[in-house]
Amino acid sequence: MEPKSTTPPPPPVMGAPIAYPPPPGAAYPAGPYVHAPAAALYPPPPLPPAPPSSQQGAAAAHQQQLFWAEQYREIEATTDFKNHNLPLARIKKIMKADEDVRMIAAEAPVVFSRACEMFILELTHRGWAHAEENKRRTLQKSDIAAAVARTEVFDFLVDIVPRDEAKDADSAAMGAAGIPHPAAGLPAADPMGYYYVQPQ
Amino acid sequence: MAEAPASPGGGGGSHESGSPRGGGGGGSVREQDRFLPIANISRIMKKAIPANGKIAKDAKETVQECVSEFISFITSEASDKCQREKRKTINGDDLLWAMATLGFEDYIEPLKVYLQKYREMEGDSKLTAKSSDGSIKKDALGHVGASSSAAEGMGQQGAYNQGMGYMQPQYHNGDISNV
Repeated sequence: MEPKSTTPPPPPVMGAPIAYPPPPGAAYPAGPYVHAPAAALYPPPPLPPAPPSSQQGAAAAHQQQLFWAEQYREIEATTDFKNHNLPLARIKKIMKADEDVRMIAAEAPVVFSRACEMFILELTHRGWAHAEENKRRTLQKSDIAAAVARTEVFDFLVDIVPRDEAKDADSAAMGAAGIPHPAAGLPAADPMGYYYVQPQ
Repeated sequence: MAEAPASPGGGGGSHESGSPRGGGGGGSVREQDRFLPIANISRIMKKAIPANGKIAKDAKETVQECVSEFISFITSEASDKCQREKRKTINGDDLLWAMATLGFEDYIEPLKVYLQKYREMEGDSKLTAKSSDGSIKKDALGHVGASSSAAEGMGQQGAYNQGMGYMQPQYHNGDISNV
């Protein structure tokens, strides 16, 4: 039988229970056998995998952040609601073109005035990116078509832009995977992606 | 019964013929009513490109058409919502809800700030001209509708709860143009 010692040796790992106590006078050396169980008991956590993001995507996300930060700054600076960049009466007429539209609050064209400005800026900005990719300094209709083809939220414009130009734009679209967005239930795929980071 | 939201193809009949504009230069009265002025659009577009960049005329015209389609797209969705809720007047909150629903979430926060500032300014002017306002009752009804849509919006769209708090509208304008 194994003799019981009155003073058992302290465990080599502080505070950690040992699977088997090393009996005194063991034939094998204690060094290599003490570390192995510790390593097995406490395996190092796996390193987090690097997030797959292209440099182009990062640049686009940064530009989007700048764009929306600028929008906030401009709106905060707005003090005059009588002079708009777009005529309110014309906006109201376009709204009224829908026969189901009955009455329009005075604030509605005001909201649209600003929303349309954002829309124009975003559409033009994305179109310009396509012009630059083709080493041009003049924004053309095909650049707008490319922006529409690449951006899912602009799917409602596919009938406005001729298909042949949109098709050319599709072939020129980048293959980077983007973040899907709900766009009126349309199942169109978005090769470019947009709104990577929203300003908080 | 409310109709389904108008598809972009619904208004595309005139666009499918290639160029909806018969001739260049000055547009007809009909065309002027369908689009926003190309000069205003051109000025805004120039803010989105470098100073040495140029914009072709066909690009300006394409964006001009896209903006009208954007207005019709959002308005149709907002109009459907008003009909479901048995309301007659489309207000700013309805437009914000429609934009969020149709994927333009990024537009909502800046526009809420804008609408809030506009309403505050309107409130100041309305207090002064309250005695001459003949549609107080209509405004009250509209306010109820606005509150309802605002509450529903906060419930459905998480974006409304982000960032700054959503302020309840204090004043609501009827179908009165202040231009």
